[in-house]
Amino acid sequence: MMKALLPRNMLIPFLSKISQKMEVIAPVLIQGTPAFCTWTGQDLALEENPLHPPTEFLLPHKETLFRYVQESGRYTFEEEQAVPRLILGIRPCDLRAANVLDRIFEQPPRDHHYLGRRRATLIAVLNCTKPDDGCLCTQFGSGPEAKDEYDLLITEIGPGYLVEAGSPAGILLLSDNPEFFHDATDAHLAEKSDLMKKASEQIKLHSDISLQKMKDRIKRADWESLEKECFNCGGCTFVCPVCHCFNILDLGIPDGERVRCRDTCILSGFSRLAGGANPRKSPGERMKNWYLDKFEYTPQKTGLAGCVGCGRCQKVCMAEIDRWKLEAVK
Amino acid sequence: MEAGGGQMSQCSSSQYNQYIPMQAEIVDIDVESPNTYLISLKLLDDVEFCYAPGQFVMVSVMGLGECPISITSTPTRNMLQLCIRRAGKITNGIMDCMIGDVLGIRGPCGNGFPLDEMKKDIIIAGGGSGFATLRSLINYIVDRRSEFKKVAVAYGARTRQDLYFMQEYKGWQQAGIDVGITVDIGDEKWKGNVGLVTSLLDRFDIYGGSAAICGPSVMINAVAQKLMKERNFDHSDIYVSMERHMKCGVGKCEHCMIGPYHACQDGPVFTYDKLMRLFRNGEG
Repeated sequence: MMKALLPRNMLIPFLSKISQKMEVIAPVLIQGTPAFCTWTGQDLALEENPLHPPTEFLLPHKETLFRYVQESGRYTFEEEQAVPRLILGIRPCDLRAANVLDRIFEQPPRDHHYLGRRRATLIAVLNCTKPDDGCLCTQFGSGPEAKDEYDLLITEIGPGYLVEAGSPAGILLLSDNPEFFHDATDAHLAEKSDLMKKASEQIKLHSDISLQKMKDRIKRADWESLEKECFNCGGCTFVCPVCHCFNILDLGIPDGERVRCRDTCILSGFSRLAGGANPRKSPGERMKNWYLDKFEYTPQKTGLAGCVGCGRCQKVCMAEIDRWKLEAVK
Repeated sequence: MEAGGGQMSQCSSSQYNQYIPMQAEIVDIDVESPNTYLISLKLLDDVEFCYAPGQFVMVSVMGLGECPISITSTPTRNMLQLCIRRAGKITNGIMDCMIGDVLGIRGPCGNGFPLDEMKKDIIIAGGGSGFATLRSLINYIVDRRSEFKKVAVAYGARTRQDLYFMQEYKGWQQAGIDVGITVDIGDEKWKGNVGLVTSLLDRFDIYGGSAAICGPSVMINAVAQKLMKERNFDHSDIYVSMERHMKCGVGKCEHCMIGPYHACQDGPVFTYDKLMRLFRNGEG
């Protein structure tokens, strides 16, 4: 595996050069809040993981599936091609989320749009050296250090950034831009492993949280009392990097576009049929379905938990429901 | 740039983009009931369209959207017919179309009825608009009658005016199918049965075999329970076609989840025992 050291003052010049060839997505401050967006030379905000996950650049909140153009009652269709991209600063937990999405959208019939965008995207992961209070990645094996499935793996160490390539495309990013890099030494690698060990220790151990324990808790949970606490806002699902429910709708007559936009199974209209019948009528049933999907169905289908322990759902929950104990903590 | 990014290019094929529909021209419209039309379609794209009874298609009216509609015709007759009931924005849009108008079609989607497993005595029970998908199976059986044994059809609708495919019952009977029809609310012109679909089952001379059911969930449960308790049917031989809200039709959008299954890919036809297991655990 190819490793190199990127001095602190070389990160911006390196990104500037890459951004001439592809769109660079990176966390920057927007009105004081870190968020992933197209990087055009702004200062980077790599300290904390943004509340909105970077997976929205793989499965956007709104994307055009195709455009339809009518002529004499018949239609022609145009479709969008993915643009090459580098997403910098994805945390290991969000990388795991992308892996879960990959497996879901790769299942036949494969999703042409997601996979096209995924193939055109390079991922530069930033290892978590300063985990957040709400982080639970160690419980699901998704962090704080990424082990595989990245193009570049970046760890912030004393002299700069230790950059490791994990794919042919990642190796090319390093070998095509040697002017920015120094050789990585054993001391750099030792510093990285020391930092990662400390980060793992910083993440609180939650011995009562695991895939199996969550499955058991779902069976025992009192959904009727939980549903009284939940505001049914769907906030938890919109910040979840794994959640991928979507709606499809048409915009424009007679010409227009068919778009898919994010949807959430927490909302009452999600499963309602045209005639009015609804298989998941109560908020409790919908909450239970969400948990079952995360901890039972997704592991069955992909071999990976549908939760990556990023802690975002807990942060946004207005009702302050304890997601892990399945209790209202008010 | 938006999160989606990208540039447009014209494409002629939906081979890779599974969301691009084929185009189908409406060649005939029959009125089945005041709010239900039977629409015959001809595909304009030069593709082979093979389907099985019980499968469905995603139907588009460009500008209004797309919804799942079960295929009402049988593959044995080389045609594509859909039974559309006014229920929402898109079905209204389809019913406002005229002969010669073009609809978008994606599919066929879903699994369909397991015909090889059903080549024994069969009871087919439908309620309301759920009967539309069963007509595909019934006409398939009529065309391949020698492959099946005793066949009985039980169909119930709200009123006489709500009954579908009335002109076809005689043909089914001539093919040796026992046809029972009932309505919830009778009137002076209705000389037949008044009551629930389950009341029709008593007259059939079928004990054990396979069953195909589609209709409201209360009716599905009542029929399945009666078949198991009184007619010696095994719950794994009872096939239920489930109705769910759908958006993508390819198992990704999660709207049609029934427990770990997607009705659009793993269904819409499920064995009754599979559904019972899920509903008993509060899933689905």
